[in-house]
Amino acid sequence: MKCYSVVRSLSFCVTLFVAVGCSDLKQNEKVIVYTSVDDVFARPIAERFQRATGIQVELVPDTEETKSASLLNRLIAEKGRPRADVFWSGDPIRAAILQAKGVSAPYRSPQAAGIPPEFSQPESHWTGFSARVRVLIYNRDLVPKGQEPKSVLDLAAPRFKGQACIPNPLFGTTSMSAAALFAKLGEADAKKFFENFSANRGKILSSNGEVRRRVANGEFAIGLADSDDYNVARKEGKPVGVVYPDADGMGTLIVPNCAVLIANGPNPEAGKKFIDFLLTPETEQALAESDAAQIPLRREVFAPEHVTRLEQLKPMQVDYAQLSTLLEDLTRGYLKEWVDRNNR
Amino acid sequence: MISAIALERPGKWRVVGVAALLLVAVLPAVPFLWRTLASGETTSLGGAFGGAIWNSVVVAMLVAVTSLVVGLPAGVVTGLYEFPRRRVLLAVLVLPVLVPSFLWAIGWSSLAARLGPAATAVLSGHTGCVIVFFAEMFPLVLLTSLAATAALSGSQIEAARLAGGERAVLSHACRYVAVPASLAAGLGGVLTLSDPGPGQILGLQVAASEILTSFSALYDFGLAGRQCTALAALVLISAMPLVYLAAPRLAAESLGRQSRPFHPLRHRQIAVVANVGLTLLVLSMVISPLAGLVLPLLNGVEFRRAWSEVSRTGFNTLLYAGGAGMVATLMGLLLALCVGRNQRLRTVCLSVCLAMFSLPPALGAFGIIDLATNAPAWADPLLRSRATVCLALGLRFFPVVAVLALRAWGSMSVSWTQAAGIHGVPLSTYLRKVVIPFLVPAGATALLLVALLATADVGTVLLLHPPGKSSLSLTVFTVMANAPESLVASLCVAYVGLAAGFLIAVGAIARRAAA
Repeated sequence: MKCYSVVRSLSFCVTLFVAVGCSDLKQNEKVIVYTSVDDVFARPIAERFQRATGIQVELVPDTEETKSASLLNRLIAEKGRPRADVFWSGDPIRAAILQAKGVSAPYRSPQAAGIPPEFSQPESHWTGFSARVRVLIYNRDLVPKGQEPKSVLDLAAPRFKGQACIPNPLFGTTSMSAAALFAKLGEADAKKFFENFSANRGKILSSNGEVRRRVANGEFAIGLADSDDYNVARKEGKPVGVVYPDADGMGTLIVPNCAVLIANGPNPEAGKKFIDFLLTPETEQALAESDAAQIPLRREVFAPEHVTRLEQLKPMQVDYAQLSTLLEDLTRGYLKEWVDRNNR
Repeated sequence: MISAIALERPGKWRVVGVAALLLVAVLPAVPFLWRTLASGETTSLGGAFGGAIWNSVVVAMLVAVTSLVVGLPAGVVTGLYEFPRRRVLLAVLVLPVLVPSFLWAIGWSSLAARLGPAATAVLSGHTGCVIVFFAEMFPLVLLTSLAATAALSGSQIEAARLAGGERAVLSHACRYVAVPASLAAGLGGVLTLSDPGPGQILGLQVAASEILTSFSALYDFGLAGRQCTALAALVLISAMPLVYLAAPRLAAESLGRQSRPFHPLRHRQIAVVANVGLTLLVLSMVISPLAGLVLPLLNGVEFRRAWSEVSRTGFNTLLYAGGAGMVATLMGLLLALCVGRNQRLRTVCLSVCLAMFSLPPALGAFGIIDLATNAPAWADPLLRSRATVCLALGLRFFPVVAVLALRAWGSMSVSWTQAAGIHGVPLSTYLRKVVIPFLVPAGATALLLVALLATADVGTVLLLHPPGKSSLSLTVFTVMANAPESLVASLCVAYVGLAAGFLIAVGAIARRAAA
């Protein structure tokens, strides 16, 4: 009797297994979006699109914090028969990598008009919109007024000895910051900065989120993070201040979101509609009003008072595509070796 | 008609069966391993990767030893004696298995940040990693020891008690449980090798972090493949002698087996010691990191949002857990059937299982993506659906079931099969009437254990889940980077609450079944 019930249970499970496998293939009008933007910021935009068009959005989010093998790798591995229609990237570096690997398709959206062209790829393999900024955050209880850092190079300043932290420069937007430093300062000065940072007992943490947490808790006085990290800490009432660095020098690194159409995706038309939606002024406004507090790239888009306008900043002049090539060399060479040395 | 005695006879079918099952288990990783071997390139075990391997091995060994030293006596005492709050303490101690190690690392890190730099110094590097992994691996040893103790017969316990009192009972039970508990501790130690999370958070360069860097920062699948191969080879070489010694002991209890169960005894002094010990473990290993995670709730609660995430992902989470458990259990029991009592096959299987466990989940997941991308669309129900996630997770955790199933098979009496053979009982009848009912408890335990481990998996689910079919653990991790701390804390509370509910439900079902 016991045996029959086991066999019955097994048969039921196998049937369920097959049914589940088949049910996942039902075709409705939908768009599949992979995104490296944090789920809390991306999902409300996807829901707005769904309400506006009736097209179902299936979102596959990733985040730097999970330290996963990353969705970008999944996209590259699926290149032969893609599942995604759109990659909504949190930065242009990953978008440029997709282009280099032949995963993306060019798409010039009619909604891209009004967005400054320097934030997009000339052949429209990726189009930039709402941006984050690489910022220095500091603990107001530990850094006296007037002593705030002014430049990214202050992370290695003697007055912050043992009190500065940065996320791992092999990952995420910090890797982009590192590549930008090499591009702007030149190899010798950039290496000098990293060596000084180590000599100053600077600490490498796992992610921007951890930098935010540990600076907010007073474990470190200053750290390098994204502007959305600062905004989350600000909203939580933490004693954290922000500096948009290098306003008098090389400029502040702007990190625009990028919309990428995947070549041979299963729903290309829905994918294009989603990209059009992402690039609208309304989406830029929604992202500015969200906890991400992202900076609209269009001047005319409304943004709340706490969101810094692009025209208030001195953007760092960089070629994003060139940064991706530079970063590839750095992560295989100096940066990898530097991280290994400092993590040992 | 095939006789039941065929189960005890040697034959080529055993080798073929074992080879086929192990091949299926490693199949997803084959594309990468093939490319790695075909490229002819090598990976240096010196430099950063060598240092990372050394760190990983040190952490794995410390975790295995501490888990064994604490888990074995805890499991034996919990199995032998009845004391107040026994079930509650056990359920709470098992919670870390359900929660990804990454979450505990964040919990410890947050708590340390609140306590000050001295706490951060203690809870980072090797010490921090060992603490985080210990909380996760110790329950495996505890449960294994508990299950093995429960397999002791009433007359064995009574004989030991008559001969030397409680000291003799404990000593006999510990010796009896030592082999499966050591294997569970070894498995736990090996499992830490493929997990980069705590190392990344707590600032220790481990082999899994190096492999992750090759995948995620360098996009160099070849290098990642070579590093994985080097790590697996290292585990295989070091596991072989251990397993060779342990394998014969797995079947030791098949002799003189008695089926009269014993009932846990109430013993005042031991009850106090057990209660205090387990409570301390709960406070230090579960409540402390949990406090680090949920203290932000003091600033606000977002249970409505947390509930919407739970309801969106709850079904998929259960499906992935149950599916993985089913796949792993079926394969594990089939493996035990093929291995039988052949010691050489048993040694090979256990060694390969340990080596498989050291491979990062991304390796198999990328293999499946590769396979699905090159397969025709009609294969999508198998290769690009929620069933794929179940399959991948099942294959990932199949080694756990293999160990339990081999032990269960080894504890089945040879005389039953011989008697059935002499009386001309057909194999199918013997399997149906004797073998399957005998293996049901071990199978159910294995299924539950794999389901628990699969619930906590993030890597495989992230890479393989069909769009829109996320699991709860994955959602927590994709949300936690930049969500307000109160939302993350609410989600963590919801997650841990559900995990506890799941454990209570399983406990209730098990008690009803036992009654």
